[in-house]
Amino acid sequence: MVSDRASRLDHVFHALAHPARRAIIRQLSGGERNLSELAAPLKMTFPAATKHVRVLEHAKLIRRRVEGRQHFCRLEAAPLKEATLWTESFREHWEARFEALDSLLDEMKSEEQTRARRT
Amino acid sequence: MSAPVTTSPLGLQISTPTDTTLVLSRSFNAPRRMVWDAIFTPDKMRRWMLPPPGWAIASIECDVRVGGKLSVAWKSDDANPAMTLQGEFTAVSPHEHAVHTENMALGTGQSIGSLVERHEFAEKGATTAMTITQTYNSKEDRDGALASGMDEGMEACYQKLEALLHERT
Repeated sequence: MVSDRASRLDHVFHALAHPARRAIIRQLSGGERNLSELAAPLKMTFPAATKHVRVLEHAKLIRRRVEGRQHFCRLEAAPLKEATLWTESFREHWEARFEALDSLLDEMKSEEQTRARRT
Repeated sequence: MSAPVTTSPLGLQISTPTDTTLVLSRSFNAPRRMVWDAIFTPDKMRRWMLPPPGWAIASIECDVRVGGKLSVAWKSDDANPAMTLQGEFTAVSPHEHAVHTENMALGTGQSIGSLVERHEFAEKGATTAMTITQTYNSKEDRDGALASGMDEGMEACYQKLEALLHERT
């Protein structure tokens, strides 16, 4: 059985696996854009851009709202946060942990020295 | 065959001595009893077991003796628990080494992997060398753990996004 959460994550990764869709995400990180604004820098046809937008929408990475004949897209934050958990690099993760451990050990040492001076 | 995968100026060494193992070595500027306490005391574990962005550690239990339990739960904005780690200590020699099992699962209960972790502590003068040996069930699992997020292009992209998302929220 595949959980909702796992399948949602599958959608997120599938959506981010295409360079055009990552380019769309990058553009949207600058704020809301309409479909033609998204299609233009990608040098792709309007229907092709629409297809990519639909995949991103399906993964709930972006949200689309319709205003008259214009379709506006913007980023959805939550699924991306979830995706970063799975993509943080192994080395960076452990280096960050060990640096935190360095400061913790420094504190423990000074606490011990303070206690030793008091007695 | 032990081949270092990468070396950093901080002294973190990551190697893959066998097909199913991953070894992390790092030295700390503290006596080993102190490093041991920092690694296995729940209040102190909270300080270095850094949760992913947007997540927090909901609870930690760590009873470092043979048969003692290790249990960590993480929560996110939309799930509590979002992820859990359950394990048991199978060998313990205080301040020297400890071996425990680790079963990771999503909040839904779906298992996302298991491994055996061995910590070794060796004092050298004023410093302590800690070696963590992770043994996975298969080469695929081991490679999966090591390769997570190693696509640098994607990684840089995600990090930028993450930073942007934090600015916006």
